[in-house]
Parts: sequence; C-alpha cells; structure tokens
Amino acid sequence: MPLINLKPLIRTSWALPLTALVLMGLTLVAVIHWRSTRLQVRLLAALPEAVAGDPALLHAATVQARPLYAQHCAACHGPDMRGDPALGAPNLADDVWLYGDGSLFDIERTILYGIRSGEDKAHNESEMPAFGQRGILSDAQIRNVVQYLLQLSGRSYEAQAALDGRVVYAGIGNCGDCHGPDGRGNTEYGAPDLTRDVWNSGGGPQALYTDIYAGQHHIMPAWIRSLSLEQIRALATYLYAASHAKT
Amino acid sequence: MARVMNAFLHRPQRALWLPALATACGLGLAGIGLFRTAPGPSMVVPPGYVALVNQKGILLSDFRAQVELETTKRYADTTPDERRRTLREMVDEELLVQRAVVLDLPETANEVRANMAVGVNAQVDAPVLAYRPTDAELRAFYAKTRDRYSLSGSMTLRDLVLRVGGYQNADQTIAQAQGDAAEAVYQLRSGAALDYVMAHFGLAPSGRSASGEEPDFAAKLHLGDQLYAVASLMRDGEISDPIVEGNEVHILVMAQHQFPKVADFSAVRDKVYTDFRNAETGRATAENLNLLRSQASILLAPGQSE
Repeated sequence: MPLINLKPLIRTSWALPLTALVLMGLTLVAVIHWRSTRLQVRLLAALPEAVAGDPALLHAATVQARPLYAQHCAACHGPDMRGDPALGAPNLADDVWLYGDGSLFDIERTILYGIRSGEDKAHNESEMPAFGQRGILSDAQIRNVVQYLLQLSGRSYEAQAALDGRVVYAGIGNCGDCHGPDGRGNTEYGAPDLTRDVWNSGGGPQALYTDIYAGQHHIMPAWIRSLSLEQIRALATYLYAASHAKT
Repeated sequence: MARVMNAFLHRPQRALWLPALATACGLGLAGIGLFRTAPGPSMVVPPGYVALVNQKGILLSDFRAQVELETTKRYADTTPDERRRTLREMVDEELLVQRAVVLDLPETANEVRANMAVGVNAQVDAPVLAYRPTDAELRAFYAKTRDRYSLSGSMTLRDLVLRVGGYQNADQTIAQAQGDAAEAVYQLRSGAALDYVMAHFGLAPSGRSASGEEPDFAAKLHLGDQLYAVASLMRDGEISDPIVEGNEVHILVMAQHQFPKVADFSAVRDKVYTDFRNAETGRATAENLNLLRSQASILLAPGQSE
C-alpha cells in the first residue's frame, strides 16, 4: 500500500496524459523562446560581416523582420521590396545602392538614421537641385540632358540632342560634380549611377525630365527612436539577404 | 506526512485548496517583486553597444562609423590603436555631454540652447523640404509676394538750392525766396537754359545729389525723406515745384528716372523657389511651436505679456 494514495487524482483516464502534454508544451515553448532569445542576442552582438555569413542568423533575422518590413517599410518600398517610382522609393531587392556598398553595416546605418531625416547622423550630404524650377537650365537643355542619360544607360536616344546634353552635363549643369564625369555616381553623396539603367523614379524620359526639372529631395525617416536595435539589425539583415539572393 | 496528504486528497473540499494554494504562491511572488531592491547597474555591455558610460550606451554602429570617418579607411583595415583612440574620444565626448546635463548647460549656455533648437527644427523641417513644389505653386507664391522681387530704380537729377538771405539780398524772406524760386521754375519749364537760370536767380547745386545716375536707395540717403518723396514721383525731364526745407528753397531737375519694377517670374525663379521653401519651413516651425504651446503650461508673472 503506498504511503500517499494518488488514486483520486488519477481516477480519470485523461488526467495524466493531459498533464504530460501540457508540461511538454510548456517545455517546448520555453526551449523555443530560449533559443530565439539566444539567436537575437547573437544577431545583435555579432559584427555585421559575421551575420552575413551565418545561415542560422540570416534565417532568424528573416523570421523576425518580415512582419516588421510589412508594417514599417512596405508603404514606401513596396510589399515586394521593388520600390515605388511614384514616391521615388528605391528597389531594395537589387544590388544597386544609393549610399554605401550594400553591406549590412551600410544598410543598418541608413535604417538607424535615415536620409535627410533631420537627424544629425543621417545621410544629409546633398539633394539634387531643381534645375528647371530654379531657372538654372532651360527646357531645351534639360531635354538634351535626358537624351544623354538615355545614351549613358544604354537605351535608344537622339544623337544630336545627346551630344548637346553631354555639353550641358559637363558644363553649366555641373552634373559631374555629384554623378561623376563618367556618370557612375557617388555613394558618398547618394548620387546614383546613371549608367546602370536603374532608376528610383521609373527612368522613362518624362520621369527623367521631371527629376532634373524639379530636383530630388526624398527623405527616409530615422528608425532609431521607433524600433529597437534588435529589430533594426533584423531588418538590415533581411534586406541584405534579399539584395544578395541572386548573387 | 502521508496521512496529511491522504486526508487532503480524500477531503471533498480539496477543490478549494488548490486555488488557495495558487493564490498564496501568486501573492508571494508579487511580494518578492514589490519589496525586492532594484537591480544594480549592468556590468555587461549589451549587444549592439561598444561601451557603457554611466550606463549610457555608445552604439557599436556609431563607433564603427566614427572610426571610418576619422581614419578614412574601412573598419577592417584600421589598426587597434586607431580604434582605441576613436573610442576614447567618443567616451570623452559622452562624459562631457553628461557633465553638461549635470551643469544644466541647456538652461545656461546660449550656444547649447541655440543648437538644441536648431536640431529640433531640423527634424520638423525635413519632411517639408522633401516636398517638390509645382510650377503653379511657385507662380502663386510669386504673385502673392511680388513686392519682394522688385528691382531697384535709379535716377539722375540735380538738386538746386536758393539759400534765404544769401547771394542777392541779405534781408530776403522765405516768401520772397519762394517767389524767386517759382519764377526760376517757370523759366526752366519754359525752356530757359539751366545755367542762365542758375546765374540769374542765384541757384547753386546743394551738393546732395550725385553727379550721375544713382540707385533709389542712395538718392534717398542723399536727398533726405522730404526731397526724395518729391523726386520719387518725377519723370524724365521734369522740374519740381519749389520745396522749402529750413532756410533753403530747393528745385529738383530730373534728367532721367528709372522707376522700380517687379521682375518677371522667369528672371527670379531661383529666388522665388528659395523663398517658397523658406516660407514652408517657417510655417512648419511655427505650427510646431503652436503645438508645443498648446500642450505646455505657460505661466507669466503679473504685468508680463508676450
């Protein structure tokens, strides 16, 4: 006869299995939570270069970042990360970057402090002047520069207009100061590479005209006060992985 | 012990024991949480940070960016000495910032206050500056603020003066001088030569007007308000009526007058564009201040107003 009679407790047939199930479930949840927490700590503690080379961290970041992207980034950059020409929001899924070289560190800096966000550490270096609205270039000059850009980016163009546009590009327009004499851009200023046929505003002749005429002043907000460091690291990792998926 | 357990398991009221036990455990945990002392300062630098200075973190990302900025090298190419130097500088800066807060510099140092205000306004202005105005908006702004875009006029004139009591008659009165000046004006308007009239009536250059063309603002400075008010309305070739100023009677002879005019929109596009953006950021700043005021409790001492 046992000292403690447990029969009243185990009288019903489902009590023990149910208890065992509940305990197993709780244990599983605890293990998953512990593992997830450890991964998050590792994700944030590791140098960006180390994160980029760790499949487990990449996966953990992707799981965490997907809903964050949908909530905070998709409104401008699109649910598929392909950008929005109407807003001038860049495609995040390609390997073309306005600032930096697409490293996880550079992506993270941009998310932290934004672009022309008013934060002192943001990318505030420059904005593209409104050449037409400010009367710096005439309508004809802008149209010629557009033809030159079409030529630079390997599309069909009007030869004479492109020649004239090249003169404007190098002369009164001073376009090379930011975009480089060869049009290859400068990621320190956020001046796009004009030779790659990748455009934030669509890249058609009318869109190019509008960009030159009215200038470019797009902003990206700083997220350092809205998201935690873990969330920002996860987002940066997610975008890094997406932009390097093809390579 | 076994007897107690068995008695417990067989009591019909055991259903009440379990909730009571759970309640007691919960209250015990709550008590521990309430009355336990707060955790001490962290002795571990959290992930994502490179240092804690009085529990205030320096971001690893900021540190790395600062290293690259100061060395103009990629972080991986920098030496440990370079990183240490940068970290030391960043820690020093954080200490000074914290010290500034302790010393209440935001309250006492004008430069600190000014920079803080600039920082806040920069964040308010950022989305405004991102907006690309349309041509229609710029033209409407130009139409509303045309006066800003007027080009200064210019004039070429001679200011002749008849000093009362001088030249011809020491006992001459103002009225008599006015009469003489009116006669001189009549003769000039009738086509008499200027040199003849000046010699005949004793008129002399006052010395106030420039020998050639001068901008309106300069003419106003030289002539004074009373004479300029007359000159500003005169057209090319006009002769003014006699103007009494103190013990002098003046006659203005306008050779050429370029009136101020508002510049065409196309000629001042750049200025209109800049003014438009300045106006928008000014509006945003004012709205922000209105919002801050509406949420603030502002009390003024008796007799004070703002």
